[in-house]
Amino acid sequence: MTLTEVLKHTSPALFLSELQATDKQSALEEIVGGLIAGTPITNRDTILQMLQSREQLGSTAVGPGIAFPHGRTLAVRQLTILIARAARGIPFDSIDGAPTHLFFVLIAPPHDSGNQYIRSLAVLTDKLQSAELREKLMAAPDYDGFCKTLQEA
Amino acid sequence: MNQQLQLLVAIQDLEQMIRDTEDETRAREFTEMGFTLNGLDNLKKSLIELETQLDPRHRNYYRKLTQKFGHAVVPVIGNLCMGCFANIPSSFVSVTHENKVLHCENCGRILYWP
Ligand SMILES: [Zn+2]
Repeated sequence: MTLTEVLKHTSPALFLSELQATDKQSALEEIVGGLIAGTPITNRDTILQMLQSREQLGSTAVGPGIAFPHGRTLAVRQLTILIARAARGIPFDSIDGAPTHLFFVLIAPPHDSGNQYIRSLAVLTDKLQSAELREKLMAAPDYDGFCKTLQEA
Repeated sequence: MNQQLQLLVAIQDLEQMIRDTEDETRAREFTEMGFTLNGLDNLKKSLIELETQLDPRHRNYYRKLTQKFGHAVVPVIGNLCMGCFANIPSSFVSVTHENKVLHCENCGRILYWP
């Protein structure tokens, strides 16, 4: 799976340039609010519950300043990826204890044909290991600039 | 949306997450990406909490269906039950917003409109 294929699952409506949340719970709520606003998806509570359960399993803030909340739920029909940023950073129970600035949120249906979701997650976690890239992504002016930066890296 | 149906969906999602975590191959894929999966006990506790909120009637039916089909709750997409691909009559679709848990008349699975 290529990065271009991964980015087909997101859209400008699923780009939250600056989260207002100041803690983990409200960040997840804001993220799910963005998903509902940016797609025909309706079941807010089910998605929020699934993401919260996933965090109970272990924080998804696995890289420096970056988190990948993810999971599968009946509430979505297809793999949907939301991107969010927080310049000030949000405490997200990260492994290094530092606040999280970048969020890639992957929500997949239970029947995930071809393991699209695992493969997308693998592409993103691999790509975003670069500190230089993460910095550039934080500075990107908008969705198009963000995707362009990601694809050029 | 019916509160019991909401619970059934949440339970099915959570059971899948638990299965994924207990599946060694799947778990390795996640740990290789850097994720930690230490909170399995938390998930199992949450599952029990959710199950206690279920009406016993729904709980028993859900268990039966899960044993038979793997998934008890299936989405309806394009008027089709995604479990057996039977057509879901439009009379059914018109009552989806009623406060009911609906079943596919062909296979018996619990229907959910995503
Ligand atoms: Zn059916």
